[in-house]
Amino acid sequence: MDHQFYLWMSYGVTALALAAEIVALRMGSARARRAIESERGLEEQD
Amino acid sequence: MNFYFFASPATFFRLAGATAPLLFVAALLSGLAGLYLGLFVAPTDAQQGEVYRVIFIHVPAAWMSMFIYFVMACYGVMTLAFNTRLAAMMARALAPTGALFTFVALWTGAFWGRPTWGTYWVWDARLTSELVLFFLYLGFMALANAFEDPRRGDRASALLAIIGVVNLPIIYFSVQWWNTLHQGSSVSFKGSSMHVTMLWGMLLMAFSFWMYAAGAALVRCRTLILNRERRTRWVRALS
Repeated sequence: MDHQFYLWMSYGVTALALAAEIVALRMGSARARRAIESERGLEEQD
Repeated sequence: MNFYFFASPATFFRLAGATAPLLFVAALLSGLAGLYLGLFVAPTDAQQGEVYRVIFIHVPAAWMSMFIYFVMACYGVMTLAFNTRLAAMMARALAPTGALFTFVALWTGAFWGRPTWGTYWVWDARLTSELVLFFLYLGFMALANAFEDPRRGDRASALLAIIGVVNLPIIYFSVQWWNTLHQGSSVSFKGSSMHVTMLWGMLLMAFSFWMYAAGAALVRCRTLILNRERRTRWVRALS
């Protein structure tokens, strides 16, 4: 098989894995901030 | 210098927020330079042809997989010895990135092994011990999240990180201790048998992965701090 297949599978999957982690980091951070905002909103209602 | 000041989650949260973007920029710049050297400047390998260029991610990823676990074990010692919350959170924050680099090392190794050895996988000492490292990362994350009280999870996972560190010398010396299909080290503290552009491409990629791992761990640790400290006054005061 052509060497390009092995290179693309290596570099491509690495890029996808790193991109997935960056998205997960941003989502985790946004979720934590939303939870704080939501608790603060509930307290203000009380 | 008062280290307890930096061990405070509130101080660390602000410092990490300022440092992480710089680490990501350093990772991007050194990564682009490393890829340019590795893919366009470094010469073709006489024996392996073009497929050897997998090393520019495979080797740095394998180094990071071991280094991150070692750092996690150090944080584990700090967690058990000094009962510091931040050390435990940093160990938790590093684990997913360590697992990711271990996966990348195994995956790219398979796609390097197929054209050079004729197989994607073999139960060789180096490959098997690296796979054990991947399971150690998964076990660490599972154990850390298995308790309702996060502090208990911190202590249990810290112990696993410390015990698992015994696997690191096994990975590193496996190619010397056993007759393995995996080749020996081309780079050591004594020198390198590689062409200078290959070496610099690999070192730049290793630096890039290092900066990325540090940045990702800081961002994840900030999220952990927000989750754990969300009822404290300083977190409430954040806009």
